[in-house]
Amino acid sequence: MGEFTTLAISAVLLAGFYAAMAYGLGLIYGVLRIVNLAHGGIIMAAAYLAWQLFERFRIDPFLAIPIALVVFFGVGVVIYLGLVRFIPRGPAGAVQSLLLLFGVWLIIRNAAYLLFTGNEQVIQTSYATSSVTILGGGFSVTRIAVFGVAIVALLGLHLLLTRTYLGKAIRAVAQNPDSCTLAGINVERVYLLTFGLGTALAGLAGVLASTLFAFTPSFGAGELLKSFVIIVLGGLGSIIGIALGALVLAFAEVFAVYVVPPYLTSAVGFVLLVVVLVLRPGGLFGQRVLR
Amino acid sequence: MLTALLLVAGCAPSQRESGGSGADDVPEKIVIGATLPLTGAESKSGGRFKQGYELAVELENADGGIDVRGTKVPVELKLLDDTTDQAKAINLAQRLITQDGVHALLGTYSTALIEAQSTVAEQNKIPYVNGGGAATSIYGKGFTYVFGALAPVRNLATTEMEWINAQQAAGKLPKPAKVAVVWENTSHGEDFAEGVKGFAGAHATDYQVVVDESFALDGKDFSAILSTVRSADADLVMVDAHLPDFITMQRQFISSGMCAPVITYGARGSEADARTALGQDGINYILSAVWWNKQLGNTALNSAFIKEFTSRHGTDPEWYQALGYEAARSLFTAISTAGSVDRTKVRDALATLTMDSILPGGKLSYPAASGGQASYPFVVQQNLPDGSSPIIYPADIATGAGVAPNPGCKR
Repeated sequence: MGEFTTLAISAVLLAGFYAAMAYGLGLIYGVLRIVNLAHGGIIMAAAYLAWQLFERFRIDPFLAIPIALVVFFGVGVVIYLGLVRFIPRGPAGAVQSLLLLFGVWLIIRNAAYLLFTGNEQVIQTSYATSSVTILGGGFSVTRIAVFGVAIVALLGLHLLLTRTYLGKAIRAVAQNPDSCTLAGINVERVYLLTFGLGTALAGLAGVLASTLFAFTPSFGAGELLKSFVIIVLGGLGSIIGIALGALVLAFAEVFAVYVVPPYLTSAVGFVLLVVVLVLRPGGLFGQRVLR
Repeated sequence: MLTALLLVAGCAPSQRESGGSGADDVPEKIVIGATLPLTGAESKSGGRFKQGYELAVELENADGGIDVRGTKVPVELKLLDDTTDQAKAINLAQRLITQDGVHALLGTYSTALIEAQSTVAEQNKIPYVNGGGAATSIYGKGFTYVFGALAPVRNLATTEMEWINAQQAAGKLPKPAKVAVVWENTSHGEDFAEGVKGFAGAHATDYQVVVDESFALDGKDFSAILSTVRSADADLVMVDAHLPDFITMQRQFISSGMCAPVITYGARGSEADARTALGQDGINYILSAVWWNKQLGNTALNSAFIKEFTSRHGTDPEWYQALGYEAARSLFTAISTAGSVDRTKVRDALATLTMDSILPGGKLSYPAASGGQASYPFVVQQNLPDGSSPIIYPADIATGAGVAPNPGCKR
């Protein structure tokens, strides 16, 4: 298999993880218009949850996904009820929400330092270094599994938003919360469920990350920044756009080595972010209502 | 205003308050200040250095203290937590000097923190000995009060290359061997790459550097770099990475079906965390090099250190504790040699110090030529399939024989 094909498949697999990482941030922003700075902290906390479940009960991280989804949905509901719902909606609450959720992130991070110290942790599954051959090249089973979960999450989210009453309500609130109130939709409840769902998706990303990378309590900062780049690239408020944004970022980073030194490839995403914000502020695939 | 200034001046603590009336007097006790990252990102390493510092102080005091002109003077360690924060490391060092009046400082851990803190020591002209900063950039500033017990990372690469060179001379590796140098974009990585390339340059007919790439920390995908290494068909894959990148890269290296006759990730590979993360099969034949290893316990000094440490902590010491212990011991030795706690005299004693040491080579000194940074060979280990990681180089301290090329590689 040629080098190009190998790198292209690697980029697609990486995009799967990137997309899973950004769904939660994109969903919350699309509906509540809040940049959830606690997103990175949730990813890190979920990685620790998966690690604890694996170390204490030998639960495989992929089997721990339903547990993480439930736990972090609950965490999201608590954060919303305890903190976020008191923030004014719209531009008036923008700075407050940033500061508040940044504070939540710091609390989560320092709690993790207290509980788990700064030691690097890693989950060593029996298949951590297993590979399968695709088009003549070897690829990690774990990366493929992460990609599969990301696709399932994308489809699930898409079906939820397009085929269920809750999904339609979420999309309606994302379009115009005031009209929704007049139409009898409980907007506060939609916000609550959306924040819970977005946090659960961040939890999903954390579990997936724990199967791929070593982590410490400071884990999540880079993931938050990349998630932000992805939702801007994909068009704020578009779930399909997030998947495409993740694909663009992954391809840009992987193939950037042909243009810039490898140590600069992680900066490529941020250059893209600036370029897109200047030339296409609505994102590469256009700003649209959540779908 | 004048009254206020006089009041402030009157209240300011003396910089010599712990040391008696003058720097040349024999003090009642010698106060050594130190900060370490006991919490935060480097807490694991910080905690290990604390054990080394405390053991050195405890053993010194058990012997009556530091011998200053025939009088045994007890040592007190004032140890503060800098929380892995550069600003705090600076502020706490300043506080230890000006408020607590310490006689000398032991350094914190990690290059970034030491870079920041060493400036404070130099500005205040107080001896500063650290065991946790290996980057040559710390010692290239012309500072005269800063001393480092960690040999430069360049030596890590050089020592590994010396072992590789011996294998090549024995006909086990191709000549010239194709070398891929892949390094994290930090001063640690730069020093490592310099070491490999310097060695290869000095043996130009034996080694050909075919890949020279650096990468950003905490990478999520190394497929592009690994693809370059694969295309170059490198015989020696010489990587310098910290633990998270080592795990991510080695997992990708294995799952992409790559194999190299010799592979190293610098200091990584022999620690328990590596085996936990990658399994025995994932770390077999990886070459690694560290500053100290408990297998060096065949000398009297080493076995005494290991015995004292193990009896207190119930675990074997690692290089962190050994370097903390040696940094502290060298400072005590310098104070004793100076016969004084006078900062300049202690500094001069450190600059001319040569003492028996638990470190490879058996001697510790801080040569002025390297800016006060110690220099000695590293301990090269190799992971073997039976789960052992014997020292394979330098030959005089080897506890086992290394294997090259990796017998699992079919080329």
